[in-house]
Amino acid sequence: MNAADMLPASDTLWLALVVLGGSLAASLIFLGVLLGRLRETERRLDEKESRHETVLDRLQENEFRLRTIIESEPECVKLQAEDGTVLEINPAGLRLVDANQPADIIGRKIFSVVAPEYFDIYRENMRRVFAGEAVVYEFRAITLKNRVAWMETHAAPLRDARGNIYALLGITRDITEHKQAEEQARRHHTELARVARLSTMGEMATGIAHELNQPLSAIANFSRGCIRRLRAGGMSPQELIVPLEEVCEQAERAGDILRHVRDFVRKREPRLKSLDINQIVRAVVKFTEHEARHQCTHVRLNLDPLLPKVAADAIMIEQVIVNLVRNAIEAMTEVVPSRREIVIQTRLFDSDSVEVEVADTGPGIDGNLIDQVFDQFFTTKPEGVGMGLAISRSIIESHGGKIRAESSRDGGAILRFTLKISAQQSHRRERADSIHS
Amino acid sequence: MNEPTVFIVDDDQAVARSLRWLIESVRLRVENFGSAQAFIDGYDAARPGCLVLDVRMPGMSGLELQERLAAQRIHIPIIFITGHGDVQMAVRAVQAGAFDFVEKPFNDQDLLDRIQRAITRDAEWRDRDLQQARLRALFATLTPRETEVLELVVEGLSNKAVANALGLSAKTVEVHRAKVMEKMHARSLSDLVKMAMQRQG
Repeated sequence: MNAADMLPASDTLWLALVVLGGSLAASLIFLGVLLGRLRETERRLDEKESRHETVLDRLQENEFRLRTIIESEPECVKLQAEDGTVLEINPAGLRLVDANQPADIIGRKIFSVVAPEYFDIYRENMRRVFAGEAVVYEFRAITLKNRVAWMETHAAPLRDARGNIYALLGITRDITEHKQAEEQARRHHTELARVARLSTMGEMATGIAHELNQPLSAIANFSRGCIRRLRAGGMSPQELIVPLEEVCEQAERAGDILRHVRDFVRKREPRLKSLDINQIVRAVVKFTEHEARHQCTHVRLNLDPLLPKVAADAIMIEQVIVNLVRNAIEAMTEVVPSRREIVIQTRLFDSDSVEVEVADTGPGIDGNLIDQVFDQFFTTKPEGVGMGLAISRSIIESHGGKIRAESSRDGGAILRFTLKISAQQSHRRERADSIHS
Repeated sequence: MNEPTVFIVDDDQAVARSLRWLIESVRLRVENFGSAQAFIDGYDAARPGCLVLDVRMPGMSGLELQERLAAQRIHIPIIFITGHGDVQMAVRAVQAGAFDFVEKPFNDQDLLDRIQRAITRDAEWRDRDLQQARLRALFATLTPRETEVLELVVEGLSNKAVANALGLSAKTVEVHRAKVMEKMHARSLSDLVKMAMQRQG
């Protein structure tokens, strides 16, 4: 059969073929587009994935870098749990505590390398870090090989993503050499002060002895000369008048010397100036800061900023406040560190005086002894001399003020003293008052 | 002028006056000087006595005055008065030739005894000085040959040995020896030996 014979049938077929072919082509194109899209998506997915991997890589890299830095850090870096368990420590830290391998110290309590007398101070500082504070503290360490060393730790809290503190990050260094140098300097200083004081007293005593020897020798010589002549006889009483007058004069000379010595020994008169008492308190807190920190004692100030100026000798009043603060620090050594607090307050006492108060949280003063604390040589400290409060009282009294001691209801000791408001100030206030009225 | 005098050097006028009053009670002459320099300027070394000297004085100290006197070969005995047991200073003074020291405050009898001893010592020294001066004068009268003979004789050599040593005859030596004895006013050989030793000492 040829094509012409089957024309009507072949026409239909052709049409069907064309349609079929057209739709096939369309589907193919569609498929192609789809495929292309798919490829694109795949490519994009790949890209995303590789980018993600890069981030992970970077994170790992960062951690590695940090670890490398910490590992190669020359100072001890460690993480500690709230109970003092060492979580992590770098090689410098291992060396510092004389550990051979991490297992020697990781998982153990830090207290295995802290000297027992520093447990309280260490615990108190840990408590403050886990309460969110950054602290610096010193302690004596006894390493795993029983080496004794002084350490200084800068510690800060480490928080997780939700802000919870999960560890203490501590950087510790060995300050033994520094500490020894400091100790030596301190000893040298106190020794110097002691020697200076002794030699001044010694020199003064020598000088007085020499001075007094002169008139005493003269008196003895004149008197002996008189007695010898009287014994030998043939003396007229008239001849004895001159030497006896000499005796009197020399006795008076000795009296003058003693009066002079007494003036010299008596404490110098205060050189009163118009001063801001709050400034003096702040100065004292500054130079007793080290001692206070060392004893874990918190010093809180509650100063009235509107106080008038006082009439005082700055050095003498500083000496009084230093005495009171030192006494307070020393009184609290038996108190748990977290309760060691000194509060220094200043306030207007009455129309012409200002009051300074130093309160501690120590054991307070025995009611029976409260009248004696200002006596010379009264002390409750094993190595105390008992001069601090006696001197403080004489200083305050020479300023026209009063000093008192009492126990607070919570058990601590409170020492208060008053100082006169400076005349210039009260004058100015009076004038201000008169202007207002 | 030959009466001994106690020279007091003390810057403290009252002490100096009292010492004078005390020392005069045993009938000794006393002269006061207010400073070491005043003493150096006013003292005539020919005057016998002793020096009572305060160790501590402004300007020239007692010890410095002692040094100055020693340098000038003035040998007056010095009694130092030291204050408040300055033992070290006293030891230094005695080592440097001080006669004695008393510590203030002192017992009057003690001081007066020491002064008395110092004056006696001064007299002895002066006597010895006088003797030596006299001897030196006697020796000066000898001729060189006589001096040679004297030196060998006092060494214990016989006339014959001296003659041999000097290349002289025994007779000549005998003549020189007689002359020496006469000039030196020596009565015996032992007298002569003593004089020769005194001259050296």
